[in-house]
Amino acid sequence: MIIAEHLKKTYIVKQGKGLFREKQEIQAVRDISLQIEKGKIVGLLGINGAGKTTTIKMLTTLLSPTEGSYFLDDIDGVKYPVEIKKRINMIAGGERMIYWRLTAYENLWYYGQIYNVSNNVLKERIDTLLKLVGLENKKDVPVETFSKGMKQRLQIARGLINDPQYLFLDEPTIGLDAVVSKELRSHIKHLAKEQNKGILITSHYMGEIEELCDYIYIMNDGVLIKKGTVKELTTETFNRKNYVLRLDKHSKEITECICDKLKVVDATVEVKDENDAIYINSRENISMELSRACMEAGLYIREMYEKEPHLEDAIIRLSREVHHEAVY
Amino acid sequence: MRPFIKALAAEMIKQHKNYFHSKMIYVSLFVWPFLNFITTYYSFKVFDIGKSKIAYITAENMVVYLLLGYMCMSFFRSLVQSAWNFSFERISGTLELIYLSPVNRAAVLLGNAVSSLFESVFVMLIFSLLVIVMKVEVLIIKILPCITVFFIVTAMAVAWGMFLNSLFLFSRDSDFLFTILEEPMEIFSGVKVPTALFPLWAKAISIIFPLTYAIEAVRRVVLTGSSLYEIREFAVIGIGITVVLFALISVIIKRVESHMRITGNITLF
Repeated sequence: MIIAEHLKKTYIVKQGKGLFREKQEIQAVRDISLQIEKGKIVGLLGINGAGKTTTIKMLTTLLSPTEGSYFLDDIDGVKYPVEIKKRINMIAGGERMIYWRLTAYENLWYYGQIYNVSNNVLKERIDTLLKLVGLENKKDVPVETFSKGMKQRLQIARGLINDPQYLFLDEPTIGLDAVVSKELRSHIKHLAKEQNKGILITSHYMGEIEELCDYIYIMNDGVLIKKGTVKELTTETFNRKNYVLRLDKHSKEITECICDKLKVVDATVEVKDENDAIYINSRENISMELSRACMEAGLYIREMYEKEPHLEDAIIRLSREVHHEAVY
Repeated sequence: MRPFIKALAAEMIKQHKNYFHSKMIYVSLFVWPFLNFITTYYSFKVFDIGKSKIAYITAENMVVYLLLGYMCMSFFRSLVQSAWNFSFERISGTLELIYLSPVNRAAVLLGNAVSSLFESVFVMLIFSLLVIVMKVEVLIIKILPCITVFFIVTAMAVAWGMFLNSLFLFSRDSDFLFTILEEPMEIFSGVKVPTALFPLWAKAISIIFPLTYAIEAVRRVVLTGSSLYEIREFAVIGIGITVVLFALISVIIKRVESHMRITGNITLF
């Protein structure tokens, strides 16, 4: 298991122009603690500039933390970064980080060599990985002729060349089309659930995070502001319930009538009439009262359900709250 | 040791496939030093070389004298360029992945330097050897000193290449080293004019370039038939420079990684 506690990263940057530039401290990560278990997919979310990439770089030992501790399966990552490097790998989105003039096979062979994978194992592993990402027929083709999706799939294979126990994915599906993204998500799930790898993923696509992650950490301005499962985060953020109601008849008067009946149960209820549906937002669980109100008014319910809030809505709400607190 | 050798070989093969993808590159690597050589040769032709203050330069061996200088220069120049290639690794993000891996950093630098050394000088070396063989009458070679000097010069060139490679890792702005080291190295190392004819200030500059010692040693064993004893001071200086450079490389490799981990500058390009 990866256990990071109170990680901080401060950069010293030179500000201004000319010869005598002033040095200034910038706190990219102010305090973050997180855990990644084997076989689990953990999401790291935040608004741009929240400190996600810096956190990943600290966990992959590319950056040394200014403060805090970091252990991977009881190995001290701050003291023994080389031992950590043997057990991890990172996959970033985009078309960089592979040699374009080399073929897919040559790329994987090179990375296998620098991870000291034995030659017998390496050949078999390259074939398996190329098959896994669907590039087995393109293994001898230079990468420069690949599409964006094919390059990204090669990145996935590259990230698995040392059979890492933990994998860090920094926006792995950025710029990919829906079909390729779906395939990649399927690979990622397979790696965690079937191969028992611990995975940390960052992404701006909330649907992807919702689909993949067992647990989520949300960062803002270098600190952790929330953590939990998708369900916990959405229900904690949205303490009110949303219902969608579709009736056989539809008019402003009916909406007002239903609103009046519900106000008796929950004075804060909000009822909105949009298109052919009525949207109800309430503090309480009012599904029973809603059904009763419709029956009493002699209305036939065509459809009624409670709308689950999405993670994206929760993130937007959280970022608004954080921004509001910062301003006031 | 096995992981070191694997990484070294992998780096050499990768650099070969990445940069020497077209046969035309060999032509370009040869044409440039060849044109320089021809220009210099015909510039020297107008002077009375027979009255040279340097005993071993004669009108007959002038072409070999210059070729030896350019051959050595090709060795060292290729390594400055190989160091420059690392800036492309930084841009493509592959340098970050090398540092993400547990690979021995010295093996990567050595692989890059050695690959560049042998590939870049290959055509120039063949050409020079052909011309030298055609002018065999001016050669006074003793085999053992010649082989010894070849190994010392190669070791010095590789150490110089690794040293520059390591400096280029420090920052994306290390490109200025290319400008500082490329032309001055040719001017002050005695590729064309022997350093013995330099004024004192220029001699002082020439001392800092390992190429200066390499060229002088090669010329002495090929043109004057110097024995091992006679070139002992070059051998000692050459070995000394190589040892010092390797010590510096070892320190720089550690400092570079520590610096990168503090500043995060590995991702900047």
